[in-house]
Amino acid sequence: MLFSLSRRILWAALTALIAAMPLRGAAQDHAPVIAAASDLQFAVTELAEAFAAETGQAVRLAFGSTGNFARQIRAGAPFELFMAADEAFVADLHADGFTRDAGDLYALGRLVIIVPEGSTLTPDADLDALERMLTAGGITRFAIANPEHAPYGMRAREALITRGLWEDLQPVMVLGENVSQAAQFALSGNAAGGIIAYSLALAPEVGARGSHALIPGGWHAPLRQRMVLLNGAGPVAEAFYAYMQEPRARAIMARHGFERPGDE
Amino acid sequence: MALEVRLRATGAIPLDVAFRAEAGEVLALVGPSGSGKTTVLRSIAGLWHPQEARIAAGGTTWLDTGARVNRPAHRRRLGVVFQAYALFPHMSAVRNVMAAMDRADEYEARRLLHLVNLHGLETRRPAQLSGGQQQRVALARALARQPQALLLDEPFSAVDRATRERLQAEVIALRAHLDMPVVLVTHDMAEAQLLADRMVVIEAGRMVAEGPTAAVMADPAALRAMGIRELAAMLPATIIERDADGLTRLEGPTGPLFLPGITDAPGREVRVRIMAQDVILSRQRPEGLSAQNIVPGTVLRSVSGTGPGVLVHIDVAGHEIVARITRRAADQMRLAPGDAVHAIVKSMSIARGQIIRAPEPRA
Amino acid sequence: MDWTALGLSLRLAGWTVVILLPVAVILGRALAYRRFLGKGLIEALVMLPLVLPPTVFGFYLLVAFGGNSPVGDLWQSLFGNQLVFSFEGLVVASVIFNLPFAIQPAQRGFEAVPVEVREAAATCGMSPARSLWRVELPLAWPGVMTAMVLTFAHTLGEFGIVLMVGGSIPGETKTIAIAIYDRVQAFDNRGAAVMSAVLVGISLVTIAVTYWLSARVGRRLS
Repeated sequence: MLFSLSRRILWAALTALIAAMPLRGAAQDHAPVIAAASDLQFAVTELAEAFAAETGQAVRLAFGSTGNFARQIRAGAPFELFMAADEAFVADLHADGFTRDAGDLYALGRLVIIVPEGSTLTPDADLDALERMLTAGGITRFAIANPEHAPYGMRAREALITRGLWEDLQPVMVLGENVSQAAQFALSGNAAGGIIAYSLALAPEVGARGSHALIPGGWHAPLRQRMVLLNGAGPVAEAFYAYMQEPRARAIMARHGFERPGDE
Repeated sequence: MALEVRLRATGAIPLDVAFRAEAGEVLALVGPSGSGKTTVLRSIAGLWHPQEARIAAGGTTWLDTGARVNRPAHRRRLGVVFQAYALFPHMSAVRNVMAAMDRADEYEARRLLHLVNLHGLETRRPAQLSGGQQQRVALARALARQPQALLLDEPFSAVDRATRERLQAEVIALRAHLDMPVVLVTHDMAEAQLLADRMVVIEAGRMVAEGPTAAVMADPAALRAMGIRELAAMLPATIIERDADGLTRLEGPTGPLFLPGITDAPGREVRVRIMAQDVILSRQRPEGLSAQNIVPGTVLRSVSGTGPGVLVHIDVAGHEIVARITRRAADQMRLAPGDAVHAIVKSMSIARGQIIRAPEPRA
Repeated sequence: MDWTALGLSLRLAGWTVVILLPVAVILGRALAYRRFLGKGLIEALVMLPLVLPPTVFGFYLLVAFGGNSPVGDLWQSLFGNQLVFSFEGLVVASVIFNLPFAIQPAQRGFEAVPVEVREAAATCGMSPARSLWRVELPLAWPGVMTAMVLTFAHTLGEFGIVLMVGGSIPGETKTIAIAIYDRVQAFDNRGAAVMSAVLVGISLVTIAVTYWLSARVGRRLS
């Protein structure tokens, strides 16, 4: 045979590789996938752990911008539960027949202005310091989520327009694909700061890197966060949906800065 | 078991040849560079496709454009020795030979390598072999195919002269073991004359002459294509003994010949190539000359060319010597057919490469 | 450390290599040996994924395989689930966008086989298949190997197209590259760093092994 040692090794490696490679992964569990808006990064992670501890059932989580998920759901993405940061997207999906029902309003979100440690900008709720620095030319970059498809970005834009700073901030604005990425940019040290979700700012990993202040809720349309079970949702997804409405879940959400609808 | 070839092609490479080589016969395809002789060989091998052709070997038709028969190269039972050897670089010599076998037989491969005088180098890769050694492996590989025809494409052009002469002698020796037709492509007339039984002279793709070697060498059209300076005659002789001063005495058709540089044993039959331009003619047997070889013969005919030269064909006991002298000399001597004349050849004119062992008679 | 994502990435790269190996050998060999009408066009098409921005490519793949496309509908009727947002969809996308990495080096490898050697193989009685197996592949092997390694490494690192065609579904389409991105967004730099180091380590080992094997082949030929 004209095989040499190197070729034998190669064949062995290739065979081992193929043998270990089912096309459908063995590791694939049938836990439902929950599409959650990025502002829920820490809240829903904790909720999933609590759910698992209490019921013994697991869920899989995917985080991203609400608009992006809506697009993927329309393209057939196999999510079972959609936790949006804005109910308008849910309404549209419901009208187009992608959801089981109109869903449930599970939380109200808030915006904060956040600045990284060591920034010359101070976070104040009136954004006066921001205006001053902007006029003085001291703002290098300012980060928000993309208003095209991220609800927290849309609301940030509304707030800035209300405050009269939107036009002036345009040249230095940096857009995150979702509000988590906006938070990354805001705290990266390359930006003076940004407007992100309150729930993110409260997380220790984020809070430790900067300081924040709540932006008046009246400056923007409310962040009515609605969740909905999608077509084909299974019993575990349904169980999680129900769990979200229990007191334990509500308490966790409150700790992450979300208000209960009806509590305003 | 003969090889029959008929080719015609127009276009970039024009061709028009037809010839036949019998089993055990060596047929030389000669011509200047670019004459198309390699293309003819590649057509026989199936590596080139002429428009009109019929090629058959050993009764099997390999190509017949009229009858839509076209066996691809790998289904023609032939052995090819390429000009650049084309050995498989990742295989040892013995594996190269085994690659051409229908059923790999290492014992047979080693036997073939011994047959071509490659001893002790069987496991070497081509990169570790000299040019001459690689050529031997290529020859063994071609033979391992048990071919119905053996094709050699300028097999000795890439080696030095000493190696070439040695390889040519070995091919002669090998002929006793070959029972298939052999087609040898070469631009070297001397090589063709030394090795071949038949010759086909090609010029610009057209056959200019075809036939037994001696006849072709006398053909003016062939000579014009190959160049008059190549003209030579082959004389058979037997080695008698080697003298102390370095010359060997041979017995020619009409008397002794003295030639240098012969290493073969006494009793061997050889053929001596005598170039026409090295022959001096004299009516009387000359005395006091330095030349040692004085061969008596009879004038057959004189052939004038366009230049100042004249070719005088001389019969030597049934064989032929050709002398190329000036027309002035021929006029002065007034040579006529039937005249007795002596052909004088310097011993030193005949280089070692011009003496070749005669092919052994085939059983 | 997201082991599921790592396993997924390795499986994706592995399947891509397995599928593209015969393609690279056959197509690379055809492109190296023959001159035919449309060869230039095919070579340009093969090169296309190399020059297209990944997002453009991902977009066109979505259009071609997505929910309302003929291909997507065919897949759905055959297998009952979507082609996009599935591992199989990733494999399809990966095979396509790795074509230049798989075919070009293989083609160079076959071009390096001297034409006299191929002719000698034919005159030794080897059919094209036998010649490929015993003569051409051993000589073209370094090129083919390079092609497979590049494909493997490139697939491990591919991000944009995987994200667009597959989403980020854990256990299905969330490759390790996406998992790293995900950890960064979750402000888990430590997790991201660990996975990045593992990915770099695997890539280095893959490349080192290939160079070692290539050197062995090179030594065999000299």
